[in-house]
Amino acid sequence: MWKNLYTWLDERFGLDDMYKNLLDRPEPKTSWWNTLGSASLFLFVLQGLTGIFLTVYYTPSPDHAYDSIQYIMEGVAFGWLIRGIHHWGATLMVLVVFIHMLRVFYTASFKYPRELTWLIGIGLFLATLGMGFTGYLLPWNQKSFWATTVGTQIAGTVPLIGDFILKALRGGPDLSALTLQRFFSAHIWMIPAVLAALIGIHLFLIIKHGESHWPKKED
Amino acid sequence: MNDETKKQINKRYEQELDKGERFWPDSIFRDVVVSLGIFLLLILLASFVGVPFEPKADPSDTSYIPRPEWYFLFLFKFLALYGQLPLIGKIEWLATVLIPTIAIGALTLIPFIEKSPNRYYSKRVLPISFMSVMVVGIVLLTIMSEVPTVTEDGSKLLGTLQTVVGIFIPLLAYILLFVFKKNNRLMIWTASLAAVFMILVSGTVMALAPEKAVEEVEVPATLVDQITAGQDLYAVNCTECHGDDGSVAVIEGVEGLEGEKITPINSRDVLYTITDSAMAEVIAYGRPNAGMPPFGKTYGGELTRSEIDYINIFIRYMWDDRFEAPEIKPLFPPLAEGEVPSYDVHIQPIVKRYCISCHRAGKDNNDFLMTSYDEILTTGDNVEHNVVAGDENSYLLQVIQQHAIMNPDNPGEEMIGVMPPTKALKPDIVDAFTRWIMNGMPQTAEDAAALSGAQP
Repeated sequence: MWKNLYTWLDERFGLDDMYKNLLDRPEPKTSWWNTLGSASLFLFVLQGLTGIFLTVYYTPSPDHAYDSIQYIMEGVAFGWLIRGIHHWGATLMVLVVFIHMLRVFYTASFKYPRELTWLIGIGLFLATLGMGFTGYLLPWNQKSFWATTVGTQIAGTVPLIGDFILKALRGGPDLSALTLQRFFSAHIWMIPAVLAALIGIHLFLIIKHGESHWPKKED
Repeated sequence: MNDETKKQINKRYEQELDKGERFWPDSIFRDVVVSLGIFLLLILLASFVGVPFEPKADPSDTSYIPRPEWYFLFLFKFLALYGQLPLIGKIEWLATVLIPTIAIGALTLIPFIEKSPNRYYSKRVLPISFMSVMVVGIVLLTIMSEVPTVTEDGSKLLGTLQTVVGIFIPLLAYILLFVFKKNNRLMIWTASLAAVFMILVSGTVMALAPEKAVEEVEVPATLVDQITAGQDLYAVNCTECHGDDGSVAVIEGVEGLEGEKITPINSRDVLYTITDSAMAEVIAYGRPNAGMPPFGKTYGGELTRSEIDYINIFIRYMWDDRFEAPEIKPLFPPLAEGEVPSYDVHIQPIVKRYCISCHRAGKDNNDFLMTSYDEILTTGDNVEHNVVAGDENSYLLQVIQQHAIMNPDNPGEEMIGVMPPTKALKPDIVDAFTRWIMNGMPQTAEDAAALSGAQP
């Protein structure tokens, strides 16, 4: 019965092909350092899941943002756990992605034929920082408010177009409800969409070229 | 890169694959172990470290020292150090835009900058040294981010040392690396010495850094704490005019507003029709035409956004009959028979709630200030009579027991009226004050406990 079901699904999905192409791939001997990429992916998924849960209660308006997070922490069952994981997950994700990048650099895994994987990776790194930057404002507390004030100010020092960038980021000359709204939108829609697309390409390239081997004397 | 090299690289990879493993189940096993470890770590962090409480954003509080997220701290520090440099330090965008752009650009283009097909470490000493100095710099700048560049005594020593770590040594190392480009041994020496010196100098900086005063911002987190915080703030800021239960309809005993008619703020008219945010605006902006001054920092008062919110929460839960108040902790722990109260545990919360609304700087109070232990004992026009250890005729005890103090020179004239002016204190509070003064005003709980023990 299970066998029949499997065959039925296999005929339609091509499960055997998937197994052969995705899972039963040959790999060079890898080390624990090679797990950081999948750890980044795991953290991305975890941040996504906890983030989706947080949007159920979070309200992106200066009047309610702070209180809604207070409510998540105090009123919602296991809200503190979800927010705690999201909070620390952000820190850990920046760290893991950064160390992953260093690993690729030190083992020179970015060289032929994996140059494009590296370029996409840089995009992923910058997008991760963008997630951190936009997410930091959302709790709308003193720390986040002033951190964003400084952050956007620095962006405003670009010659000629600085003022435009500053106003585009803040939605006006000062931090306001508009800033919070657009940071929220960037944090839950724009940057994650970019991240997901880049992760897709990154993974495709990794499967296509296989994981690079640890460099030896003859390399 | 020609086709011959490419073919070679691909052949090398095939060799490695032959000696290698399968993705499933060999490689993925490690991936799963690490991911699960991370998940566990996150749960532990969330459970035992948690997310620190922060007060609500307050755009008017310009005294707040802004700092970015920790992973941007190194950049923040770098900007601060760069700003100290003579001449180019003034051209801000060089450091905020040009240098980061070059850094990210170089990082992105690494595959096209480092074109040799060599992958082994000893064949890549230059790029590895370059990156290592950069990473050491980033880590050290992050560690030093808390240390000020100019200390309170005006010394710029720390700032200079930090600039040496963050700018001069790396710059020198980079120049030397390019000079020694052909010599692996010298490049390794350069990078290692640079890293060692950077670590040593920043170690010195950390050792010399002024001890950071641990400022603990206590943020009321639970509803009960918020209500209590709101009640204390209300007592200080609002009681004078609105009364401690918000029922005042005609203001009495307030200079300049005597006889002013106001709507009792504990009435349904107010509570049912004015929303929290409207109420917050009223408190922040005041009602200048009706005599109410602004209380929000934005408009020159002294309350932050969070503090106004706490007052609102207190008002809602105490007076609005649509809200059910949680159980509130008593103002001070009840006193046992023969127990001596202390300032820290008993008197301070009482004073905060009932007295300092008037007995603080800038109010009409015969210069008797009560915001700290020392002030209570050492201020006031009648300081020698106000609070006298073991004397039940202390003015403070007299007036809170509804005996006004008459002017000794003119017995018909009241020198100090009964306190608080509008509503007598409850007997347990009067009792706490009496026991405190009769036993010599102990400050800490330990002092009070020692005195309690001495009682028969």
